[in-house]
Amino acid sequence: MNQPVLTFFNNKGGVGKTSLIYHLAWMYASLRKRVVIVDLDPQANLTAAFLDEEKIEEIWGSQDIGSTIYQCVKPLTAVGDIAEPILQNIATDLYLIPGDVNLSGYEDALSNEWPNSMGDNNLYRPMRILSSFWQVMKMAAVKVQADIILVDIGPNLGAINRSVLIATDYVVIPLGADLFSLQGLKNLGPTLRSWKNLWQKRLGNWKDSAEISNHLTFQLPQGKMQAIGYLCQQHSVRLDRPVKAYDKWVNRIPNVYREAVLNQAQAATVKQNEDPYCLATIKHYRSLIPMAQEHRKPIFNLTSADGAIGSHANAVQDAKKDFKELAKKIAKGIGMQI
Amino acid sequence: MKRLTDTELEALLNDTESDRAERKESFKGDTPKKARQAVCAFSNDLPCHNDVGVLFIGAKDNGEPSVLQVTDQLLLSLADMKTDGNILPLPVLTVEKRTVKGSEMAIVTVMPSDMPPVKYEGRIWIRTGPRRSIANEQEERILIEKRRYKNLPFDIYPVPSAKISDLSKTIFENEYLPSAFATDVLEENNRTYEERLASCKMIVSPDDTTPTVLGLLSIGKTPQDFIPGSFVQFLRIDGSELADPVIDEENIGGGFVEMLRRTEEKLKAHNRTAVDITSTATHQVDTPYPPAAIQQIFYNAVLHRTYEGTNAPVRVYWFNDRIEINSPGGPYGNVTNENFGKPGITDYRNPNIGDVLKTFGFIQAFGRGIATARKEMEKNGNPNLDFETNQSVVVCTLRGKP
Repeated sequence: MNQPVLTFFNNKGGVGKTSLIYHLAWMYASLRKRVVIVDLDPQANLTAAFLDEEKIEEIWGSQDIGSTIYQCVKPLTAVGDIAEPILQNIATDLYLIPGDVNLSGYEDALSNEWPNSMGDNNLYRPMRILSSFWQVMKMAAVKVQADIILVDIGPNLGAINRSVLIATDYVVIPLGADLFSLQGLKNLGPTLRSWKNLWQKRLGNWKDSAEISNHLTFQLPQGKMQAIGYLCQQHSVRLDRPVKAYDKWVNRIPNVYREAVLNQAQAATVKQNEDPYCLATIKHYRSLIPMAQEHRKPIFNLTSADGAIGSHANAVQDAKKDFKELAKKIAKGIGMQI
Repeated sequence: MKRLTDTELEALLNDTESDRAERKESFKGDTPKKARQAVCAFSNDLPCHNDVGVLFIGAKDNGEPSVLQVTDQLLLSLADMKTDGNILPLPVLTVEKRTVKGSEMAIVTVMPSDMPPVKYEGRIWIRTGPRRSIANEQEERILIEKRRYKNLPFDIYPVPSAKISDLSKTIFENEYLPSAFATDVLEENNRTYEERLASCKMIVSPDDTTPTVLGLLSIGKTPQDFIPGSFVQFLRIDGSELADPVIDEENIGGGFVEMLRRTEEKLKAHNRTAVDITSTATHQVDTPYPPAAIQQIFYNAVLHRTYEGTNAPVRVYWFNDRIEINSPGGPYGNVTNENFGKPGITDYRNPNIGDVLKTFGFIQAFGRGIATARKEMEKNGNPNLDFETNQSVVVCTLRGKP
């Protein structure tokens, strides 16, 4: 699969991850890149941002094969095979594989197959299950000739997320400026490295097995998981905290990122706002956010009819510039032409 | 509208050098995008052919048929190019299935626009020889000049008593322009304020800066000083007849954004949602009128009304049992008393106002308002819409739930 898979990941929640992916997806689509969004967070918040409740109810209620990410991989847990995803066309060049609250039920299957995939025989099925998310993404990408795949996942280090990251080429880490984000970052880096190694071992094990000759067309993800940088939320959720504390946390990020994620020795002090790994500081767009949620569109697409008049209109233009810049920076990091 | 004969079509198809024809093998991949660019370019007619441009779907670059089955679905998605609101002002085009060189093709015939420049997604496409490109400053100026010699719709007539200072620069630059043009186009060009106004039809031309009706209504400081009837009269009547007591009244003026938004707030305030928590175990939410239906009918009244030679406002009268929305000026063009409200029958008295309302975000797509309103009324449990039309007025009645 040539299309880059980009995952936004932090094991600390509430750092504005879902909103970020939502906006980036719209931005890439407006830059005429064909985007497939995969909601692999069992909480399905991203799906709720794109589709209204009625539509989600219809999709979840129907239980059609392929209608959600869970319905794509569910046949694997019985005797079936991965189903082709039914994509929701949100707008021109923008497609969604809806999330599913039932996805948590798949966690067990993934946990069980992880040790099995290091065995000596009967490797095909465990490898197929472990790479199932990647297989679904690949089908979707081929179906609509996607340019990029954006993935949202929940904030934990469980088996689902391990499977998603195996399918991932590039990782972006959204952070809040607080102790929890920093602490999360410290164990995120080593976990990513360990998953990467463990997956390489499994790939090797598969390559050396006798079974491979029976499944010559079976492809597997490389599990690159290359971290291309982090994003920092300008204001954390707790606005009552003094600004000084914000500064304190923010300026520790560059070093922690280098140590934990890049595995580098402590470098000379780099300030966060000069750090090349800092892709952007996400501003708090204040009243634009509820306005955008009400009208189900990204903040930079708000119009006068939606109420974005006067100073709001300027803020909309600023937001457009910010997100375009970020989209370009990320595109550069993953080698995508814009 | 001109219809080309089979011989003419074939000649155009064979003439691979022509800038009046474009060939596409199918309508897949990025063709829908390129086809829209072509329609936009034909509408602008920069080379001044004063003749139709033709888009062949089902022909190879060398003019040979690609043998394509022309389905109803294909023709529908081609017709969508006209109404999805990405090409503004709306292009004049026909879509038909024809047999050329013994093979089926879908033929899109595009008339040159009387109101150039025509934009597709905020970019002005033109033909330069056999290819498409985006108009530069000079070309845009030529397109603006072309506008002056046609029989124009009233919405871009000059208003001689107004001056350029009657237009709000802030609204134009902060709110209108960024939505009307693609960001990269705005960043690159060095057009003056006057040239930008002229390109958006807010003034006559860069040399004659008299505001147009459109300019005053869209970005004017006090449009009602010049176009007296261009306001909305809202009345809430406590009863079912005009003579009953009035409990709320407001004349809402200002430019389109202010006028439409303030009226909508008013409508929202009166459309009280009741939550019933007593009659059943779960609570029931009840809205007297579906907001989307009122909105569609009201926008239609503002868009399609006549602004010419009348001092009548758009009237929104809210009775206890119904809402009457009254739009001055009877049915227009293709639309008559007989076929009013039938699907597929639309026409535009004010095509450029349609352009502005789309740019400001009030309109999503064209030609679907009444159908949407009808569906919403049914979903909410209201009786069907009633239209009363005559020479001078269109009245739509939304009835309350029985």
